[in-house]
Amino acid sequence: MKSYLKLVNFEIGRFMKIYLVLIGLTILSQLIGVIILSKSYVANANEAIYEYLVPFGQFIEEYGRMSMMSVVDSIWFMGPIALCAAAFLFYIFFIWYRDWVGKNTFIYRLFMLPTARLNVLLSKATTIFLLVLGLVAMQLILLPIGSMLMKWNVPLDFRTDMTIREIINNSHYLFILIPDSFIQFLINYGLGFMAVFVLFTAILFERSFRWKGVLLGIVYCLIASAIFLAPLIYEFGIQASFFYPVELLIIEIILGILVIAISIWLSKFLLNKKVTV
Amino acid sequence: MIEVKELKKKFGRKQILNGVSFTANKGEITCLIGINGVGKTTILKGIMNLTPMNSGQIFIDGKNLSKDTYEKITFIPDAITMIPTMTIAQAMQFMQDYYKSWNQSRATELLSFFRLKQEDKISSLSKGNTAKVNLLLGLALDVDYLLMDEPFSGIDIFSREQIANVFTSHLVEDRGVIITTHEINDIEHLIDKVVLLDNGIVLKEFSTEEMREDEGKSVVDVMREVYQG
Repeated sequence: MKSYLKLVNFEIGRFMKIYLVLIGLTILSQLIGVIILSKSYVANANEAIYEYLVPFGQFIEEYGRMSMMSVVDSIWFMGPIALCAAAFLFYIFFIWYRDWVGKNTFIYRLFMLPTARLNVLLSKATTIFLLVLGLVAMQLILLPIGSMLMKWNVPLDFRTDMTIREIINNSHYLFILIPDSFIQFLINYGLGFMAVFVLFTAILFERSFRWKGVLLGIVYCLIASAIFLAPLIYEFGIQASFFYPVELLIIEIILGILVIAISIWLSKFLLNKKVTV
Repeated sequence: MIEVKELKKKFGRKQILNGVSFTANKGEITCLIGINGVGKTTILKGIMNLTPMNSGQIFIDGKNLSKDTYEKITFIPDAITMIPTMTIAQAMQFMQDYYKSWNQSRATELLSFFRLKQEDKISSLSKGNTAKVNLLLGLALDVDYLLMDEPFSGIDIFSREQIANVFTSHLVEDRGVIITTHEINDIEHLIDKVVLLDNGIVLKEFSTEEMREDEGKSVVDVMREVYQG
């Protein structure tokens, strides 16, 4: 346990520079986005009302009121989130391959540590999970700050104020990141966690059997997806309303846990018996 | 004692090891000799469970390798096993964090023995100094067995001398060492036992002292006989 925690701390430290850059970019982009979009809206309103003498009511009818929705759906807001998502997707692979590829032989050291090799895998997965949660937490802090910035820049009559929950619920991608119930949160992040473990297993297949491993990894990903999606395919593709919604939820949770357990078990086997440095 | 029994390993269709067996005792330096590609490094990796074997058995003091064995045995590969962006001090701290067998006073002694500065980044070191850091990280562990893969490969003569001096010092004394090397001349006088490998098998396993005393032959003489005879 102690080694696992040390490894988590170590892995987080290794990603910290890139992580801080991602955080910095997100803060800058989202807050600058709020200011630019707010100012541009106010400039438009000023131009329409003072230069073209468009009545206030007509302006609102034509352009609508400014709200955080205009901001969160813009590239300023979505761009850094997409960038972070892409960075983490890349990092799922990079977190392993950087220790193997080229002249770097750090994987020798990791595998020669006097601790279960599974701890190496679990620490890498935990690192990804914790850092993703960190970004989500930061998003929760940035939303009210952005909202406040908009209020400073756009007069009351020209804006629609929304609570943070309303903003999230009205945005598809933010709703996935920050769902409104704990169960939904567990499902969304459980799915993500499951995907990380499945991909880690596929990577270890490749690291164990090289080219044959690539194929085995792909096959494993397909099998894991098939196991997890089987009830959904049946429900939505073959026989609608076969399961009660709550039944489907329970089955999916069980299958998700099963896929994670199989992935960890297979990874442990590969790490101890098959992987080659 | 490290016991290697009937190790077999295939890479693709190529049989690298075809039933390799030998033993290496504590307090002795055992040298694995063979041309490139003969499987010397693979044997060391196999002992450390860093690459799976197709068959065979490895025992360390009569037991199979487990996670705790890594406190008793260490492997010093021919490339450094630390992150290049770390300083030597950070690398030592990493070792201290994870290994109970890490001996900081020995590490400090080795630092001055090799004339290394702990604030230096590993990536900025010369090849010779990188090899010394690699050796330091292995030797500063209070382990019973040391496996070294080509410690003299591609480094300057002065670094070679320094590294060779390690073998005559208390830093290696009483430990069991398995070493692979091409530069047999540098350490011929230090080796206790030789395992000559070719075509995936052990051609000859002998004690250097007995060979010298009984047959009056040096390691190089026996190598000529076995490989060229």
